[in-house]
Amino acid sequence: MISGNATESGGPAVRIENLDKYYGSFHALRKVNLSVERGERIVICGPSGSGKSTMIRCINRLEQHNGGRITVLGTELNDDVGNIDEIRREVGMVFQHFNLFPHMTVLENCMIAPMIVRKRPRTEAEATARRYLEKVRIPEQAMKFPGQLSGGQQQRVAIARALCMQPQIMLFDEPTSALDPEMIAEVLDVMVTLASEGMTMICVTHEMGFARRVADRVIFMDGGEIVEEAPPEEFFTSCRNERTRQFLSQVLGH
Amino acid sequence: MVSLLRNQKARNVLLQVLYVGSLAALVLAGVMIARRNLAEQGITSGFDFLYKSTGWDVNFSLLPATANDPYWWFFLIGIINTLFLGSVGLILATVVGTIVGLARTSSNELARLLGRTYVDIFRNIPLILQVFFWYAIITHLPTPRAAHEAWGMLLTSRGLYVPAPNVGGVAMALAILTVIAAVVLPVWLGRTSRLSQPIGKRLAIQLAGMAAALACAVLVLLVARLPDAPLLDFPALQGLNLKGGLRIPPEFSALAIAIAIYGGSYIAEIVRGGFKAIGKGQVEAALSMGLSPWRVFTLVKLPLALRAMLPILANQYVWLIKATTMGIAVGFTDFFMVVALTINHSGQTLEAIGILMAGFLTINLSLAAVFNRINKAIALKGNQLRG
Repeated sequence: MISGNATESGGPAVRIENLDKYYGSFHALRKVNLSVERGERIVICGPSGSGKSTMIRCINRLEQHNGGRITVLGTELNDDVGNIDEIRREVGMVFQHFNLFPHMTVLENCMIAPMIVRKRPRTEAEATARRYLEKVRIPEQAMKFPGQLSGGQQQRVAIARALCMQPQIMLFDEPTSALDPEMIAEVLDVMVTLASEGMTMICVTHEMGFARRVADRVIFMDGGEIVEEAPPEEFFTSCRNERTRQFLSQVLGH
Repeated sequence: MVSLLRNQKARNVLLQVLYVGSLAALVLAGVMIARRNLAEQGITSGFDFLYKSTGWDVNFSLLPATANDPYWWFFLIGIINTLFLGSVGLILATVVGTIVGLARTSSNELARLLGRTYVDIFRNIPLILQVFFWYAIITHLPTPRAAHEAWGMLLTSRGLYVPAPNVGGVAMALAILTVIAAVVLPVWLGRTSRLSQPIGKRLAIQLAGMAAALACAVLVLLVARLPDAPLLDFPALQGLNLKGGLRIPPEFSALAIAIAIYGGSYIAEIVRGGFKAIGKGQVEAALSMGLSPWRVFTLVKLPLALRAMLPILANQYVWLIKATTMGIAVGFTDFFMVVALTINHSGQTLEAIGILMAGFLTINLSLAAVFNRINKAIALKGNQLRG
């Protein structure tokens, strides 16, 4: 029996303790500790290969960690398949390359998981899907196929698709990195709206403007470790670490 | 003149004229040589021979055949035998190929190793050798008196005897058509109910469609059953031989098995390629929403892999249909063998080969056309795809 209450109880949304992750002999995450409160917005940045994507992919078990503990909404992520399913139902994810199902319409993309995983009736799933498509401002594209949309539109569909599962936590893995400059804004707008509504968000992104506007905490990772962790105003003005300063000067310098 | 040769349009016209002219000359020369040779051998060309009786018989036929029947009837029997062998071979090859192909993409190391060994062995042995191998094995099975028996079927060195319904030819054809409909209908229903029905109910609708078509088939057989005979005719030993039922000759079994196993090794590679072509991202997205591995397979992996596989699969099917002409090596009277016998007995070489070519062109072009239609219907829409 899956304990439905476990995900409802208090405590942090995500707690990561002494997380270790290896790819073969490469040590991708080194004893990472992080706690994310409910409703908190976290932005993770850092150079490529620093382990930021690996870390958020561990949160919904797209990557399996090798050491330490991850607890999501009170449920520990371990080899228990029931726990993994329970966590995945409550954690939505948006990917760099959108990863929409190209053989389904936009509407079907948004309806499939609620109908199968949450066992929602079709009418309800469709109403929810249309509501979230409205929210990401592309209700008119519902019957189109992903390949007929622009990158920015596809990413907004991907956000709507994740939201249709009505998750408690949203993970964003570089959601704007594959987009043209003018499309970045339309995706960030949706994310800002989402943040203002109190969604727990963990975003891997290099959009420092976004971090400044919505983040409660900015985390800088390098070499598989959390190097710096601070509220945005402190992070951007008075970071303590040399590596962080170097990174910021490169990201903000032009 | 020089300026005209440098003119692009004039050059193109000249090349076309030369090309068509030489082609026409070739054809004309061929026809004239053929006519002279035929006249020398005293053979009259034309298709009148089609209405003469053959004087020889075939060893396997789904239609009634005697030596008194005309050539055209035997051509028809040959085509039906080829189609029958082709469909059985293709279906079996697809089943084998799917299993082996999935084993090759499996995360289980043993399954991968077995799959690879299978492909390495059977893809690299010539088809004709495999046909002979299976033919030798089947003809060394026990005699009818010591036959292996299972579910009313008898396996002997003289062939596989299976129970056959006691119905007329037309009813049988009708029943076969309904069974084909039972396979096609769910696919069609699945597509048309795609948006209007929930995914769970779609399966129910598809199953209902299939059940209805199968019920029709059973109904046809029940209505058309011959009076005073049991519905199913079971093979049984009478004296030294087996009587009743339908005999699948060793030649047919050997060919079907060889095509299934040889074709399966190629199809396995196509299946593997299809699954390798799926974007990892789509699978991760599906998993991240909590879909079970089985649902990820049926809803995401399979539909996407199928789209990648289909064009190559069509190619392979056309190839395997042509491979049925191996029938002549073991003496199965497929279309090619009927044509070869016709040439031997009537001497109407050109006509018979013309019919052979037209027949295979029709079969394979129809197959390709069907696959092109499917391909077009399920093609991914739009050109903004990534990942």
